[in-house]
Amino acid sequence: MRRAALGAAILAAFFLSGCGEAPQVTVYKQGKYQGKPDTQPWSNAPLAYGDATWNKGDRASWETQINKRAMGQNEDNRIYRQ
Amino acid sequence: MARMKFLCDAERCIECNGCVTACKNENEVPWGVNRRRVVTINDGVVGAEKSISVACMHCSDAPCMAVCPVDCFYKTADGVVLHDKDLCIGCGYCFYACPFGAPQFPQAGAFGLRGKMDKCTFCAGGPEADRTDAEFKKYGRNRLAEGKLPACAEMCSTKALLGGDGDVIADIYRERVLRRGKGSEVWGWGTAYGPGKAGAQPPAGGKS
Amino acid sequence: MLLTRKSSGQAVPQARLARGLAGVLAKTMDRRAFLKRSGVTLGAGAAAAQLPFAMIGEAQAQAAGAGKVEVKRTVCTHCSVGCAIDAVVENGVWVRQEPVFDSPLNLGAHCAKGASVREHGITHDSHRLKSPMKLEGGKWVKVTWDQAYEDISKRLLAIKKESGPDALMIIGSSKHNNEQSYLLCKWARLWGTNNTDHQARICHSTTVAGIANTWGYGAMTNSYNDEQNSKCLLFFGSNAAEAHPVSMLHTLHAKENGCKVIVADPRYTRTAAKADKYVRVRSGSDVAFLFGLLHHVFKNGWEDKKYIHDRVYGMDKVKEEVMAKYTPAAVQEVTGVPEQEMYETAKMLAENRPGFIIWAMGQTQHTNGNAIVRASAVLMLALGNVGRPGGGANIYRGHDNVQGATDIGPNPDSLPGYYGIAPGSFAHWAKVWNIDLDWLKKQYASEAMMTKPGITVSRWYDAIVEKNENIDQDPNLRAVLFWGHAPNSQSRGLDMLEAMKKLELMVVIDPYPSATAAMMAMAKKEGCYLLPAATQFECAGSVTASNRSIQWREKVIEPLFEARNDHMIMYQLAQKLGFADQLVGKRDGKQNIELVKGKGGMDEPSMESTLREVNRGVWTIGYTGQSPERLKAHMRNMHVFDVKTLRAKGGKDKETGYDLTGDYFGLPWPCFGTAEIKHPGSPNLYDTSRHVMDGGGNFRANFGVEKDGVNLLAEDGSHSKGAEITTGYPEFDHVLVKKLGWWDDLTEAEKAAAEGKNWKTDLSGGIQRVVMKHGCHPFGNAKARAVVWNFPDGIPLHREPLYSPKPELVAKWPTHADQKVRWRLPVLFKSVQDKAVADKAHEKFPLILTSGRLVEFEGGGEETRSNPWLAELMQDNFVELNPKTAADRGIRHGEFVWVSTPSGAKIKVKALVTERVGADHVFIPFHFSGWWQGQDMLGYYPEGAAPIVRGEAVNTATTYGYDIVTMMQETKTTLCQVAKA
Ligand code: SF4
Ligand code: SF4
Ligand code: SF4
Repeated sequence: MRRAALGAAILAAFFLSGCGEAPQVTVYKQGKYQGKPDTQPWSNAPLAYGDATWNKGDRASWETQINKRAMGQNEDNRIYRQ
Repeated sequence: MARMKFLCDAERCIECNGCVTACKNENEVPWGVNRRRVVTINDGVVGAEKSISVACMHCSDAPCMAVCPVDCFYKTADGVVLHDKDLCIGCGYCFYACPFGAPQFPQAGAFGLRGKMDKCTFCAGGPEADRTDAEFKKYGRNRLAEGKLPACAEMCSTKALLGGDGDVIADIYRERVLRRGKGSEVWGWGTAYGPGKAGAQPPAGGKS
Repeated sequence: MLLTRKSSGQAVPQARLARGLAGVLAKTMDRRAFLKRSGVTLGAGAAAAQLPFAMIGEAQAQAAGAGKVEVKRTVCTHCSVGCAIDAVVENGVWVRQEPVFDSPLNLGAHCAKGASVREHGITHDSHRLKSPMKLEGGKWVKVTWDQAYEDISKRLLAIKKESGPDALMIIGSSKHNNEQSYLLCKWARLWGTNNTDHQARICHSTTVAGIANTWGYGAMTNSYNDEQNSKCLLFFGSNAAEAHPVSMLHTLHAKENGCKVIVADPRYTRTAAKADKYVRVRSGSDVAFLFGLLHHVFKNGWEDKKYIHDRVYGMDKVKEEVMAKYTPAAVQEVTGVPEQEMYETAKMLAENRPGFIIWAMGQTQHTNGNAIVRASAVLMLALGNVGRPGGGANIYRGHDNVQGATDIGPNPDSLPGYYGIAPGSFAHWAKVWNIDLDWLKKQYASEAMMTKPGITVSRWYDAIVEKNENIDQDPNLRAVLFWGHAPNSQSRGLDMLEAMKKLELMVVIDPYPSATAAMMAMAKKEGCYLLPAATQFECAGSVTASNRSIQWREKVIEPLFEARNDHMIMYQLAQKLGFADQLVGKRDGKQNIELVKGKGGMDEPSMESTLREVNRGVWTIGYTGQSPERLKAHMRNMHVFDVKTLRAKGGKDKETGYDLTGDYFGLPWPCFGTAEIKHPGSPNLYDTSRHVMDGGGNFRANFGVEKDGVNLLAEDGSHSKGAEITTGYPEFDHVLVKKLGWWDDLTEAEKAAAEGKNWKTDLSGGIQRVVMKHGCHPFGNAKARAVVWNFPDGIPLHREPLYSPKPELVAKWPTHADQKVRWRLPVLFKSVQDKAVADKAHEKFPLILTSGRLVEFEGGGEETRSNPWLAELMQDNFVELNPKTAADRGIRHGEFVWVSTPSGAKIKVKALVTERVGADHVFIPFHFSGWWQGQDMLGYYPEGAAPIVRGEAVNTATTYGYDIVTMMQETKTTLCQVAKA
């Protein structure tokens, strides 16, 4: 599964992250990363084992999963809020 | 939108090399190639010893990308700096450009599967199809494509090393810094948020 | 800890990293340093360089279908923190390892060792022992299991016939799981000897004896987690950042919440680098340091007087001695710490309560280790710190299951559960084991030998070469089973090698051939067998972490190569030696331990039913409530346990419907009564703020009710919460239960079993149940003893090490007199110390040599040095030298040097020049083996089974010295000289 095309909104957000100055991040080129083929992480289906879940192809749900997973690195979360 | 970053808390890092080994294990990096290293300054000097774990920092404006003569690097939509080993010519220019010495080269004569430049991928594999054997052999595991974060950060023994969406890990770190009132100076947050208070109470919902 | 590490060599002005991170990196870590660090020095790892990249990729994993991918929950085997690991197994191959964020002990975290355990499952270029082997004409040759069993059992039976059962010593392992340790303890007794021991002897034997005699149980009082409830942590004799790295997660979290961290150590350790206060102490001056602190506590009236009155015996006598002998001047002379620093440290302890003292080998491995640990206990008692959340003695155990193996494993002086080797204990266990007591008695050389503590692992080689008339058993040792133990962890390597030359039969049972094999091949042409054992990832079973929590490991993979599980080997050897039925308790149509089909369809004892047998017998320390079902439910539901208290707030196990509410994680022992009464386990020992059915307690009544007219029981009003008896009380037996009118609370069946019994021997658990129902503690309610009158130094006393750098201190603080017999062997003290002084050892060997841990390796290190991911991190053994020590000798960083000691040994290691050690100390880590006084032993290992990294073992050079109570070896303080190689 090669990567799917990205929406313009995402591109716009990238540009905006430069806050009006000259863009400081390398810009994603339509269809390829600087000409290199790669897949987006969210274009995969979750693994058959483990508890990771997201909707294949949906970046937002994948980010939710990633951010949920990041709580594993937050011991305050485990100590005080679980 | 997720922008992947690492952050290593020098108040916490005990130079246990858990992160280094987690990386070796997860990516089966060969002997002599180290995507991640732990650096200790003032080793053994009373009151001054500090350790920190370093790998590719996935720079926003990555010098390696800028100097690569064959333009083998690319940056993913979530901010990870990756490279294409099929294009890499192993010239080592990126190594000189990188302020962290992240690019690694297997020792001479071993131009095998990963004979070209190798570096931390933020556990995001490479150009090969995700989660395939081919990708794993060339670049290691693609944990991001599994909905997980870097093995090194996830297994850090003291949770000194954080890796993930920059905003989220900054939040984790901020909570910690506010509680202990120390460490913010490293990040200029002392100015941004004022100094924290030692022993400050955990946020609501906390218990003892 | 890489030798290529940069050190500025001078202190930077600001203590904290107050600059931008990038700035620091740019300044201190130039690229060349990084390049050097990236292991281009291949040295040791020519073979490892061609390591495989790939096992089986995810593509195949998914193609093979979800059904083939299994996630097994196991526990790291490298230390007592007990970090949980999820192992991903695909088609029987261990392909991944994932963190378990839910674990309340490690929250997903791992040190280098834990993060590397999957390597155990990689077969390509494995350095494991792959098949049974035998030493023949000085060469290792492959044999079949059957052949090996045949040869070994023949030799053993012949030796037994000629010399009796005591000619064999069975050296067990703290890396066996609880069930295997327990079976091995039984195995030794069924063979007919008490000559059995394991790593605890050389790890925490002094703690176990010293602390149990002080207040009841010789274990960590609280948990790593409980440090989060503490206000002050004094690390004295522990380098937790390297030895128990993940415990630092709790320590640092506590510190960030305002808890003070003090580290006192001869070295500025990694742990010290994280401390609020660091005190440099001379190695071997421990009692003086602790009592020096106590001096300030008493002088300023900081002691907890009410607590001492209610719960401590003998503190007045200690006070007298402390005030008289440990004056600031005397303490400075002995420890090197000035009065002001002692005062400030004592003040910090006094002002921040509750607090812990934390120790490991730094206190225990001394000729007066038993006194040092008791001095620590007395200090905590004076401050009123013991028996409450957030305070106590956090004794960090070493190996993953050294706590469990100490509790119920192969010990020379006790049966499982610390039942001393007395006739009554044998009767108790014969009943539990379902064997005939008379048969058991006949297995022993005599009834006298049955109740005589056996030979200790620290001195097994002395039992081979000591003159026969000097040893307290008929034969010398002729055969040794080395079952999961490293020889380089015992001191006096030179003497060990000499003894090996005389040993008739050595059987090494281990996943790695270990340095034992190489040493035997160096010493002899035959008489050694190697049997490949499985690792703990290749079998199931329970493991007790340092905090007494018990976790259940699932089996991850089948034993690799020709390896077999330890319990299968025990059973099969027992079959050959004629006590297999007794091992599994098969008699009169009843069989205690089921046999299940293991590797290759062969029988092996079931771990579950073995644990059930443990549950039926170990009443003393409450290993009775931890049924396999409860433990497994805990492992499946780690997320319900609170990190700070370890308690489950609620939750039901989906699989069994078991209600977890109120349980403490892993049912930390004591978990009294049967599993049915649901005792929740005891997270903090002797904690009077809780009901005994909530894990509360008080100090144990184990030493009588009074001593010389002084009450030994707790004073009125001091008792665990809700106790119906509000005064002190003795331990319970059927008479006391009847007197109190509680007898009728027992069921008829319980009455029948409990008649004539006490809380330790009532197999029904009825006495414990009823006593706890009334809120009382089965072991009574007494005072802790600041004076342990049954030990040689009832009040802990500083005694100079046998090899002391200061003869004038030897004159003031001499060691014990020589002992004719202890643990079946004579042991020298004064004569060795006097000789060292007469020989002017302190002039010829002016540096104090101490040894310790590295984070990358474990124990003797063969296993971890065979793991390329770890081996790469630390490729040479080294000696830490202060810049002055190095400069005076013309030694440069990274060069080879010779370290020589009064034992006559010389070892070759690299110089690591660092301010970590003072100018009078040097430090060498103890995990190395495979070099012998400068010579690589590669040729002596079986082919392909030598560890990747080999180096000089510090214990080749360590000197004579043992603790008088437990035969703990001295490895922390001796003398040496260092010279350029
Ligand atoms: S992110 Fe992955 S590849 Fe990078 S250092 Fe960590 S474990 Fe290694
Ligand atoms: S695992 Fe964490 S504490 Fe250990 S060296 Fe890495 S960053 Fe530091
Ligand atoms: S060695 Fe200890 S601290 Fe390290 S991962 Fe294993 S159990 Fe945890």
